[in-house]
Parts: sequence; structure tokens; C-alpha cells
Amino acid sequence: MKEKINYLYDGSFEGFLTCVYYHYYEDRAAGIYPFESYQDSILFRSRQIQTDAEKAAKVYEAIENKISSYALGRVYHVFLSSLPEKDNIAFRYIMMGFRKGGSLYSLHSDPVVFAAQQAERKVSFEAHRLMGLLRFSALQVERGDTLSEMLYAKIEPDHDILELLGEHFSDRFKNEPFIIHDARREKALFSQNGTWVIAPLDTKALPDFSDEELVYRGLWKKYFESIAIEERKNAKCQKRMMPTRYWNNLTEMH
Amino acid sequence: MELLEKLQILADGAKYDASCATSGVARKNVGRVGNASCAGICHSWSADGRCISLLKVLLSNRCVYDCEYCINRRTAAIERASFEPEELAKLAIEFYRRNYIEGLFLSSAVEGSPDQTSERMLRCLSLLREEYGFAGYIHAKVIPGTSAELIHRLGMVADRISVNIELPSEESLKLLAPQKKAKGIFQPMRQITETIQDRKQIGSNFEKFSQTPLDYLTPNVSEEAGAYDLLSLAAAKGNGVAKKYKERFAPAGQSTQMIVGASPETDRQIVKTSETLYQSFQMKRVYYSAYIPLNDSPLLPALLTPAPLLREHRLYQSDWLLRFYGFSAEEVLDENTPFLDLDYDPKFAWALRHLDLFPMEINKVSLEELLRIPGVGTLSARRIVQQRRMAAVKFDDLKAIGVVVKRAKYFITCNGRYYGRGNLEPEFIKAKIPGLGVMMPETDIKKSISPISDDVQISMFSALVQSGPGFGKPLPDASVGLLREAPKSKLLLPKSS
Repeated sequence: MKEKINYLYDGSFEGFLTCVYYHYYEDRAAGIYPFESYQDSILFRSRQIQTDAEKAAKVYEAIENKISSYALGRVYHVFLSSLPEKDNIAFRYIMMGFRKGGSLYSLHSDPVVFAAQQAERKVSFEAHRLMGLLRFSALQVERGDTLSEMLYAKIEPDHDILELLGEHFSDRFKNEPFIIHDARREKALFSQNGTWVIAPLDTKALPDFSDEELVYRGLWKKYFESIAIEERKNAKCQKRMMPTRYWNNLTEMH
Repeated sequence: MELLEKLQILADGAKYDASCATSGVARKNVGRVGNASCAGICHSWSADGRCISLLKVLLSNRCVYDCEYCINRRTAAIERASFEPEELAKLAIEFYRRNYIEGLFLSSAVEGSPDQTSERMLRCLSLLREEYGFAGYIHAKVIPGTSAELIHRLGMVADRISVNIELPSEESLKLLAPQKKAKGIFQPMRQITETIQDRKQIGSNFEKFSQTPLDYLTPNVSEEAGAYDLLSLAAAKGNGVAKKYKERFAPAGQSTQMIVGASPETDRQIVKTSETLYQSFQMKRVYYSAYIPLNDSPLLPALLTPAPLLREHRLYQSDWLLRFYGFSAEEVLDENTPFLDLDYDPKFAWALRHLDLFPMEINKVSLEELLRIPGVGTLSARRIVQQRRMAAVKFDDLKAIGVVVKRAKYFITCNGRYYGRGNLEPEFIKAKIPGLGVMMPETDIKKSISPISDDVQISMFSALVQSGPGFGKPLPDASVGLLREAPKSKLLLPKSS
């Protein structure tokens, strides 16, 4: 049997899937790692692969057809997580899926499935959480003589969930342009007319707040204060539901 | 008066309403701004740990009623204010744009007459829907005594409407809220239930929210920094035309709330009342609100009496048992157990009263029976059923499945083996799983009110049960969410304890 090797890729989802392709058609993989964060292993030699869209598409379709579209979604969510072992959690899940097929979904207590499910849960939970914990500010844009407003929100999520927010917010604010800025990963989601795209953002180019912005912030803080019932105060519960690491970007917590 | 001041006063008056749900309706943005997510979204958590998802305010707190328990009662010495409908609609939209809130929860004190108040509420909500093209979530409170036509119109603009039952029995209602009549509460409730039922039968063509699946291979990523010129982005303000945002009457159903601890009802009576509300009125939710003494009244618990928060918590747990675990009120609290055990959760307490049904074999018993095991939840029960179609569930698998093993192990066998290491006796299990160590029952109710007997309790509903043909009978799909398809297991009904 030929020795196993570590595959290294460029960090893109297609790159990851290309590694999976090579695992089945060339050398078997011991592990898959993004090139940037890889540290040489004494056990396995490594090979850096070129991302190949065609090969990636083959694996993508195989996962969807031979396992399930549910599994594909799970793999993608795991891939978006920031867990150091995310690539291998997803990789083992895919390997097991090709063996078990559609019944993979029911094997909740299998360690491979369990790890993938936990990672997926972290990602989708954070995306859901940020649909609520994200705060837009109205910026004032001058263009010739006309003044118009644009919404801007800054987030610093643990996982790379920016694109999971696109559908939700671009539908909700389909008549209003907005930017959601992932400050941790230095990229932003731009949306207008119900469509969105992710691109780098030059924060220096951002315009100032609109005149009314501070008024509404003040109103929101006052509301936030008044709605709490003194007799039921429970700071522990509040922190459990809304961890302090999100407070930086929450208007009402300042 | 400044808007800031009004907001403070009118949020203060609304905060005792417990409902914060934004779930139960999924809608794409069919207007100009807003959509609704089926799972509901929480936007913040206030200092008391309760979630904030809606802008919850009163339109006015100038009340003509004088309900003993209410902070806004006519005779209370508090500051009074009213929003103008236009002013509130604008505020709600500005909050919504900034993603502070998921929608509006609009209630009001009775200013003038119920109809006058409701008309003002309706104006505010119609402004939101029609002028602003708002397609987000709206919860409207119905003022008892409002005319049927206005209630209908409120239901057509709101996603959820609610009439508060306020107190768990008619006796207490008479005593503490003399101007509110049981009939005035149940009539609108009944109207809402019937309208929803009728509309269901007719069927409605309605734009369902379907998430376009992401195509993971071609994510919308652009490498160029200048892909988006901020100026042109801002200029792209769309001007979509609002379609008719919805044609359904209260698509997220109705809910109600009762105050716990202001009147002498037992938990058994409260849980039974809830069961009736779920069955006869198809309530989506019944909320419980632990009474916080706000007014000094001889009829109520003294000021500074702590709010029965733990009791409220146990009532919510029982409520979940009714809605998702296939329990009946009679099972949660039988004749000999008028109050919930504050020490232990109601499912655990039920299991201890029915140890003859345990241990249950994880790999054999039905889904309904799995749900009866302490430490097994709705998700883990379904996972067990799924997994055992492939292979037997082993004891070591249970943790990954999501079962609270340290609790469940006394009540189960796994492939024939019992892991509880001891006798299946209440004393032994209680020693292994310590409770909260609270004395029960909480009897902080003034002696001036004599306890209400079970018979009186039942009479509250008898009037309405008889008042319409076929009404009050449990509706076929009213029982419980999860078990809607599967009939309740007969085996589990206690014979005698």
C-alpha cells in the first residue's frame, strides 16, 4: 500500500474539494490542511495542490448525489467554521458518507458524524444569532446635491458566516443598500436591490453617520433600559444568551 | 412631550407582557421592507435575561379601567403618555432598519373606549403595512370589549393577535379586574379561533418563504477592492412597489397570558386552564407572568413579596409537557397533587409517581414513551428512533445523541442492561439527583381570598363550551405539536397511583 500524504490547498472550498478528489484518484490523504497554516509533519510528506474547478465540481456533485444534499450543506457549514481541525472533520465525514450513503444522517452517535454535527451547529447557530445581534447604522451619502442614506453594520463573528447572512438581509432590505462588514476577516457583504456580493472594503471611504443616527441610538438605549424588569434582574442569564464577546458591536451595551 | 420620554413611559407599561415570540410565520419580503423568519429571531437580551425581539410598547397608558394588579390602572399615580400612530410607525421602521427589532408588539391601555383604542392601534398598524410597505412581524393585542369588525381588521394586518385571559379563573377576574368580563375575553378569543379555522378550510394562496439554496461553488465573492463604489451603492436605493403583503388572518395564530401568584388558584387549576385554552382555542402559546406586587391592595400579595419566578418556571415546563411531550394536564398534576414540585421539574416528578412504568428499554419503546423518560428531549427521542433503525443504540451512544445520561440512567435499560446501580425507588433516585432544595408550596397569598374549588374553576369554561355548536370540543389537531400524527400511547395513562 502506498504511503498516505497530507494535502495542502489554497483555503477555498473548491481547493478543499480538489484535495478530496486526489484522495480518491491519486495518493490517499492522511489529512487536508490550508497551505497558510500548515506546519511540516514528520509523519507524512505533503503535497500542495492546484485548485481545479472541474475536479471540485465532481466531488461536489458526488456528495450531493451519493450521500445527500443535507450532507453537502453540513460539509459546507463545517468548512466555514474556525475550528483548527475543520478540514479533517469535513473530510472524514465525506469519506464515511461515501461508505454509508444516505443513511449517514441517522448515525448521530458515530464520532465522525458527531464531530461534524457539532461543528455545523456552531456555525449555523452563530449565523442565526447574528441575524439578531447585528446592528446597522445609517450613514449619510452625499452625491452631488442629493443626500441619501445607506446602512452599515460591523460584525466580528467567530466563524466565517458572512455569506450565510446574505440571503436573509438582502431580502429584508431589498430596497435599501447596505454593507455588512466582517472586521475580523476584512471583507464585507454589499447588497443592493435584493442581490449581494462579498468583496474587500476600504473602511476609510465610509461616510459619516446621518444626522438622525444618534437620535435613534439614544431612543434604542432608552427602550433597552426601560423594558427590563428590576425585580427579575438576571445578569448571568443575559450573558449566557448574549455572550460578552458580541457586546463590542452592540449599540445598547455602550 | 419628547419622544424619548414617551418611549420610556410606554415601554415601562408594556414590559409585563411576557410574549416575545416572532416565530410561526415565514414570509418573504412581499412589501418594501421586512420579512419574517419561521424560527423567530431574538435581537437582544435585557438586564433581566428576557429576550427582546419586538418593540413592545403601549399606544397609550391612559386607562379608564382599574384592575387591581395592573401598573397602568386608572388610580395609579404614574406618568401618562400616548403615542401618535404616525410617530410610533416611524419609530418602529427606524428601529427595524437598524436591525434592533424583529417587529412591533402593540398593546394599549383602554383610552376612552375599547373601540376607540383599537381604532387608533389599527391606524398605526395600517400605516406600517400600507405606507411603509412593512412585511415584518406584528403582534397586536386585542382589548376586551372591542367590536368584532375591528378585531377582524386587526387580524388582517397582524401576524399574531392575543387576548389576555389575565387570571386563571372567573372568580379572580371578578375580584381583581371588575371591569373586565370573562365573556369580553372569551368572545374575541373564540372569534379569532373560528376565523383562523374557517380560513384554513378555504385555503389561501400565499407566498411561502423558501430560502434559495446557496450554491457553494460559485459564492458571490469579488476579489477587487473597488468592486463596489460606495457612492453608486448608496444611489441604488430601490423603489419596489409594495404588493399586497398578506391575505391571511393572523397567520401566526393567537396567544394569551395569565398572571400567576396574584390570585389563589392552584397549579393544577392553572395547568388545566391552559390545556383547555390549547384545545378549545388552538392557542399557539399560553404565557405565564409571575406577579410582581406593583400596587398596594388588600386583595393582593403585599408589596415586596418576591415574584414567584420558580413557580412560573415550573409552569412553563408543564406547558412544554402539554405541547410537545404528549402529556395531559391530569397527568402533570393529578387530584392529589395540587401544586407543582418546585424542587424538581414536572416530568421528573411525574416519573417518580409512576415508577411502575420504568425502566424503559431504549431500543424498544415507542417515541411517545421515550418522551416520558426524564433526560430525554424531543430531539434526542427522535434521534434514538432514527438511529435504532440502523443499529441498536448503545448506552455509550446516548450522550452524543443528546440524552442527559446522569438523569436518564435511572429510568432506562439499554439492550437489557440497567445502569442505575441501585433500586428503582423514589428515595434512592432523589438522593442521586438532588433537587433545588426549595420548600413547597409557595403560599404567599393573602388569607382574605378563600381558595377556589375545582368546580368553580371548571364553570369558567362551561359557559363558553355550551355557547356554540361543536365549540369547545378539542379540535382534531389541537393536541400537541410533535405528536400530531401519532395517537397518544394508551399504556402510559396512569391507572392509579
